[in-house]
Amino acid sequence: MFSAEEQSHIVQIWNYLSGHEAIFGTELLQRLFTVYPSTKSYFPPLIPGLELTQMQNHGEQILMAVGVAVDNMYDLRTALSGLADLHAYGLRVEPTNFHFLIHCFQVMLASHLQSEYTAEMHAAWDKFLTNVAVVLTEKYH
Amino acid sequence: MVHLSGEEKGYINAIWSKVSIDQTGAEALGRLLIVYPWTSRFFDHFGDLSSAKSVMGNAKVQGHGAKVLTSFGDAVKNMDNLKGTFAKLSELHCDKLHVDPENFKLLGNILVICLAEHFGKEFTPEVQAAWQKLVAGVATALAHKYH
Repeated sequence: MFSAEEQSHIVQIWNYLSGHEAIFGTELLQRLFTVYPSTKSYFPPLIPGLELTQMQNHGEQILMAVGVAVDNMYDLRTALSGLADLHAYGLRVEPTNFHFLIHCFQVMLASHLQSEYTAEMHAAWDKFLTNVAVVLTEKYH
Repeated sequence: MVHLSGEEKGYINAIWSKVSIDQTGAEALGRLLIVYPWTSRFFDHFGDLSSAKSVMGNAKVQGHGAKVLTSFGDAVKNMDNLKGTFAKLSELHCDKLHVDPENFKLLGNILVICLAEHFGKEFTPEVQAAWQKLVAGVATALAHKYH
């Protein structure tokens, strides 16, 4: 599914994010909610004064799940089965929203890594997150 | 019809004034072809697009990218009349180029990523949001004359 080169890029990107899940998770949600306000409908209401803490907590959860996916990129279906159940039967997130999240993730990485964020890394990470989204929505029907 | 506030227009102009059109245009088109390889269907006559290296080094990609982003400059100058500004280009993309309008959204998002790459921390969520509105407006304007 992923070439050796793609795997290397994906792991390289994860090494940059790992250990900073709360920071990057917060920024990811800040971008998502600012650019695509409709995505807030899937999250508990943001409470004035507590928004940052809420986004840190939830953002960290999302990034940690991404880390699990990186560690299991050749068997995403098994590793993410519980999350796939959650999204299909619990959260029921409209699939377009995964594209919004993936895009905001790319923008975030590009703004942090700048010239280090080569087209090859961008392509590999896009392919990886797209595959994660496919697995998370596989049980929808 | 996209409505941009004064603040949003400010964010857009602040970024645009510092953009290198040739470089960013080439980067954006190159990344489109690399990240979404199926978009190469419109550029079979460009020669070798078989690898990331060949795409980024392709003179026709660079030239066309610059041309596309120069045209995007018209959007920045006419943020309140995108449909009028891109009417002729919309007809061209429908009648002659036969480009699925979905591709305009893809390129718009790639442009946003290129801007984030160049501007780093300056490309805040608010700046991103303003640019996303603009690229979405341009995509809609380019699809407006399709029939």
